[in-house]
Amino acid sequence: MKGIAALVLIIEVTGFVVGQVLLKHAMTTAKQEVVSKVKVMSLFAGGIVGMTVSFFLTLALLQHFELSYFFPFQSSSIIVVIIAAAVFLRERLSTQLILGALLITAGIILVSAS
Amino acid sequence: MKRGFLNPWVQLGLEALLVTAAEIFIKVGATHTATAVGAPTEWLGVSGLMSGWVWLGILCTILSFISWLYVLKHIPLSIAFPISNVVHALVPVGSWLFLAEAISLRRWCGIAVVLAGLVIVAKPVSSLEEKL
Repeated sequence: MKGIAALVLIIEVTGFVVGQVLLKHAMTTAKQEVVSKVKVMSLFAGGIVGMTVSFFLTLALLQHFELSYFFPFQSSSIIVVIIAAAVFLRERLSTQLILGALLITAGIILVSAS
Repeated sequence: MKRGFLNPWVQLGLEALLVTAAEIFIKVGATHTATAVGAPTEWLGVSGLMSGWVWLGILCTILSFISWLYVLKHIPLSIAFPISNVVHALVPVGSWLFLAEAISLRRWCGIAVVLAGLVIVAKPVSSLEEKL
């Protein structure tokens, strides 16, 4: 993968992870008894922006690479998402969950290396 | 815990299938609309919007997104997201079945490792379901 493609991929993954964390935060906030609609909508909008940026960059990457080759590179987002969930959403990470996530990532890297 | 179509775990499975379909549709559209190497819009991806396949993929993406929001409302992100990565097994298989992309033995092994990881992540889910 060339330099510009790698940069596009990094921005794509970052946008995706930020989007996921903001959407989860929005949906969790929406379940609370006292809900600030402005806060929920702001979080939701932020999540949509992150996902939209990620979508268009995915489209650009797919115009250059085979789907089965490109898709595994997104695997790094698994580890980043669960770390972000622990840090920003204060979710508890079990050893089993981390082990499973690492195994999934290893499998995806194996797929991408083929 | 709701049963049937509104069960969050059913929605998580539906979301994975819709994402797989979306990726395949978008890949077909992207291939048909690829711009020339060196063109100013080469890395913007907007030319893909000229394809109906891409719009079908966008529809599947929207539907998967609705399922995903429902999942996020009921399941922790750190559990739901790794499980949703079953798409890393489903997409290569879909690429092989529908796009005639070659899958090597090593890639099949990778898919098997992904599935093993999913089993490990999904094991504590039964106890989580009791809490929900």
